[in-house]
Amino acid sequence: MSSTIPGWWSKGRAILWTVAVLLVAGSLYAAFARAPVEAQMGVVQKIVYIHVPSATVTLLAFGLTFAASIAFLATRAWMWDAVAASSCEVGMVFATIVLVSGPLWARSAWNTWWTWEPRLTTFLILWLLYGGYHVVRASIAGGAKRTVSAVLGVVLFVNLPIVWKSVEWWRGSLHPRAVTMTGEMRTVLTLSMLAWVVFFAAAFQERLRLEAMRKAAESGGAPEAPR
Amino acid sequence: MTALRVLAKDLRLHARDARFIATLSLFSLSLVLILSVAFGPFFRDPAREASATLWAALFFAGVLGLTRALDLESESGGGEALRLTGADPFAIYAGKTIANFLLMAVLFVLLLPCTSIFFDVGNLAVLPTVAGVAALALIGYAAWGTLFAALARGLKARELLLSILLFPTLIPLWIGAVKLTRSLWADGTIEPVRDWVKIMVVIDVLGLALAAWLYEVIQEAEE
Repeated sequence: MSSTIPGWWSKGRAILWTVAVLLVAGSLYAAFARAPVEAQMGVVQKIVYIHVPSATVTLLAFGLTFAASIAFLATRAWMWDAVAASSCEVGMVFATIVLVSGPLWARSAWNTWWTWEPRLTTFLILWLLYGGYHVVRASIAGGAKRTVSAVLGVVLFVNLPIVWKSVEWWRGSLHPRAVTMTGEMRTVLTLSMLAWVVFFAAAFQERLRLEAMRKAAESGGAPEAPR
Repeated sequence: MTALRVLAKDLRLHARDARFIATLSLFSLSLVLILSVAFGPFFRDPAREASATLWAALFFAGVLGLTRALDLESESGGGEALRLTGADPFAIYAGKTIANFLLMAVLFVLLLPCTSIFFDVGNLAVLPTVAGVAALALIGYAAWGTLFAALARGLKARELLLSILLFPTLIPLWIGAVKLTRSLWADGTIEPVRDWVKIMVVIDVLGLALAAWLYEVIQEAEE
């Protein structure tokens, strides 16, 4: 735990950010300039190229928090706690994007900003719970912080399958189980997914780097490489 | 045996603190009163409004009960002594969960007739099934509540933190309890919403299973 942040990370960081920004810019251009305008909803349908990838990244981020929390409980290595907390924090940003872009879509598609349908409700619960994760984590000082956070990272994961399966388990869901798209729309959606996943990776490593620096500052040494 | 001893200890603590039980009862009754005034005086769907009121009051008041036993332990150093005995952590958890369940059951017995009278709903024929629904809801509440209360022990503003985590987690349990109670009071059967029984059982089992796995880890974190 004594090595400083390695040089390859700093170089790789710049490359990752460049790729992420280019991909996001490319996906936005493709979504607004290349993808066909949907016949019924018009230009509002293009929200799907941000909304769906953000939702996917949210589940990915909270899934990573769950996996890293289990790894922390098994190994007690600080790196897994840093991964869990970093992933959860970036995941919250994407979850917020989902909750903002959803009503914009809903207003046009369902003629209401909000409706208590299963996926909207379960996703809001998910957002509240992971918000609670950060509040509780920030409230604890000392050695218990990592353990309590890891336990929460495991316990709160229970909600992810509920969000995922809510459209199948409960009647009255307005979210479609499957989306019918033209080939070009599907290509743009795939590109958007890739772009936002890479953007998540870039933001996540930035947050992880901050954790490494914070740990170094706490121990009074040079920044450590997470391992 | 350990679970029963912990249960007896927690119940003794509650029994010695009659003022707290009285305060908790008055608080939960006030919640029922406020909500019935908010919905009334002319109820559009009394069964629905009464079941929502009953379960909202129980869940809100329950948070205070969840942290009380832990607070008393912390003040006297009893929690630390309990850990030093080397007792099985899950047995300690089980004892505390049963104590919390019984405390909630007492509140339920108090609030049920009051809610029935205020909203003019319910009858004796469906009472056993309503009690069964309450058992399902309160087992889940106690299982998750005790787990989260242990996590929040020692934190400042723990009642707030506990609420932040507990209420969103238990929303499916709350919806299930409301839908089943409403169906019983309005139609005399749970058939139209029977699926919620399965969901509530899953939440109960999940809470107990996670506690069996993680309670020891939480205890270690406190040391």
